[in-house]
Amino acid sequence: MGKIRSLVKKEFRQIRRTKAYFALIFVAPFMQLLIMGSAITNEVKNIPLVIVDQDKTPSSREIIDKFKAVSIFDYLGEAHTAEEATLGLDDGLVKAAIIIPRGFERDMERGLSPAVQVLVDGVDGNSAGISLGYITSMAAGIQKGWMMARKLPVSGGVQVIPRYFYNPELDSKLNFVPGLIGLLLLMITTMLTAINIVREKELGTLEQLMVTPLGGTQLIIGKIIPFTILGLLQFSMGILAARLVFGIPVQGSIPLLYGMVLLFIMTTLGMGIFFSTVANTQQQAMFVAWFSMIFTLLLSGFFVPINNMPRIVQYLTYLNPLRYFITVLREIYLKGTPFRNLWKEAVILGGMGVFLILASSMRFHKRLK
Amino acid sequence: MSHSDRETVLEARDFVKNYGEVKAVRGVSFSVQKGEIFGLIGPDGGGKTSLMRSLVSLLKIDGGELYFKGQAVSGNPDYVRRNIGYMPQRFSLYQDMSVAENLRFFADLFNVDRDLAETRIEELYGFSGLKPFASRKAGALSGGMKQKLALSCMLVHSPDVVVLDEPTFGVDPVSRSEFWQILGKLKEEGTSILVSTAYMDEADLCDRVGLMFNGRILIVDEPSALPERYPGKLYSVRTDEPHLVHDALEESGLCGECNLFGEGVHLTLADGTAESRIGDLLRENNLAFESFEAIESGIEDLFLRLMKGDGDER
Repeated sequence: MGKIRSLVKKEFRQIRRTKAYFALIFVAPFMQLLIMGSAITNEVKNIPLVIVDQDKTPSSREIIDKFKAVSIFDYLGEAHTAEEATLGLDDGLVKAAIIIPRGFERDMERGLSPAVQVLVDGVDGNSAGISLGYITSMAAGIQKGWMMARKLPVSGGVQVIPRYFYNPELDSKLNFVPGLIGLLLLMITTMLTAINIVREKELGTLEQLMVTPLGGTQLIIGKIIPFTILGLLQFSMGILAARLVFGIPVQGSIPLLYGMVLLFIMTTLGMGIFFSTVANTQQQAMFVAWFSMIFTLLLSGFFVPINNMPRIVQYLTYLNPLRYFITVLREIYLKGTPFRNLWKEAVILGGMGVFLILASSMRFHKRLK
Repeated sequence: MSHSDRETVLEARDFVKNYGEVKAVRGVSFSVQKGEIFGLIGPDGGGKTSLMRSLVSLLKIDGGELYFKGQAVSGNPDYVRRNIGYMPQRFSLYQDMSVAENLRFFADLFNVDRDLAETRIEELYGFSGLKPFASRKAGALSGGMKQKLALSCMLVHSPDVVVLDEPTFGVDPVSRSEFWQILGKLKEEGTSILVSTAYMDEADLCDRVGLMFNGRILIVDEPSALPERYPGKLYSVRTDEPHLVHDALEESGLCGECNLFGEGVHLTLADGTAESRIGDLLRENNLAFESFEAIESGIEDLFLRLMKGDGDER
């Protein structure tokens, strides 16, 4: 045990002397949350909009005024013809155009349902859908206003009044920030472990260590302990940053959260050790780690909801520890879900962690012989 | 062998090491006796490193067996690692840790008791002269001092057998000489040393040497006995134009061996060539030379000769 202690001590001594680690652990969470937390969002803002008013009535002008007033849209002005609006879309200057047809007000007053045409740039399908949603709800709002003002015969219909639980304002930050903390943890622990071990390989110190009575298992433990502590430290900084920067508190139990983090770190360290057995240079380790991390990220449900993926890919995500960890993070963070509803994830993460560490340690042993 | 009455600390018996198709060591047998400096001499790629790494249990053995103090290396890697000092070819210590920190770290790994370690480290400082640099980062040391530190780290657990893989590679002549002085002191203390080098001049500093080339040890003997091992009589032509003289002699077909050296050409006579023919040939070609005389062979001559006999078998 004395040997492991001196290994861990040595590791921390080296970590302390590498300034980059400080930045990674203490600055990176703040930077990343600050920048990415505000940048990654489902909300669509400042949609460049033109309106073609072929009706030129008080009603059509009211529609224009309403759209002008909303910050979601960046109202560029009136286009004279539908062709002009289309040209704007072609040039990419305009993302959405509304065409109010001639006779709009007249048809409305007669109780007919007048149609308003909306042209949307569909290149980015996600934003297009959201833009259209905004326009539709704006239109509904305007219509409702008119009905209230008795300009229109009141028509019946079912109204849906949504209420969003856990994230009442559908603030995407609430969703993304816990996920980001998980991501950061994955990146740092996997990458640092892989690079650290490969660096010893590159320097030849690993060979030097192997001719000491130090066993391979002790060596692995001597690596796991410092990087686990580093990971926990960084995660804590992440929580702190989420609290300070975005005012997002942890709803659930903190010990439960840290317990889950420990399980997750086992999987990331396992992966890191595995990568170190594949790579011979730090660059290779970096490349392999990045390559795999892209998959881990995209198949985690962080960027793309897993339900939207093809079935086969959905099965693949079951192998991804980050998938479970992000679920766990969101549950504990936003809903305060207790352990009895998360034990499945805990078992899976723990199983994966033990498997990954054992398998990669065995590979590590074999590679040395 | 004259050393048969002494204790054998390291031994190879028909040792074979392959890397896939490449045969790195092809059946090597030799032994290192207690208290001697045994030098493995030979060019890069000759199999010295493979042999040494296998001896310290870092590589799988593909044929034959290696022994450390009578125990098979393959079956007792832990015993070997606990008791041997091994210094790999490249400097491989923690560059971002100080001299003292490196020494203490390795003392811990070798389970050396704290107090014992402090005395030992002082002792090693005495050997290596590293004391004034104790708090300097290993990465900031000069090449020669780095090697001394690496050696010291491998000596913290006071092993009586050390294996050093080209410890003086890339080190300046002064530091090389200092390093060999340290090895001499270690030997006086009774440490057995197996050391490899590509510098032929270091052979004379060993008690015995093995000439290793192309995966084989071609000759094992005391350095002083090596000239006698040269087959045939060796001559030297001293000249200021060694290249021209070498080419002329090579073309003439008068020589068996004909090798370029710094001060001239070393050669042996082909069968039936009279000594006087050489001088005549050079005069015929208007090539100036200072002297032509028989010389005692050096280790390089021996190597060049031996390598010819073994060069085709790759």
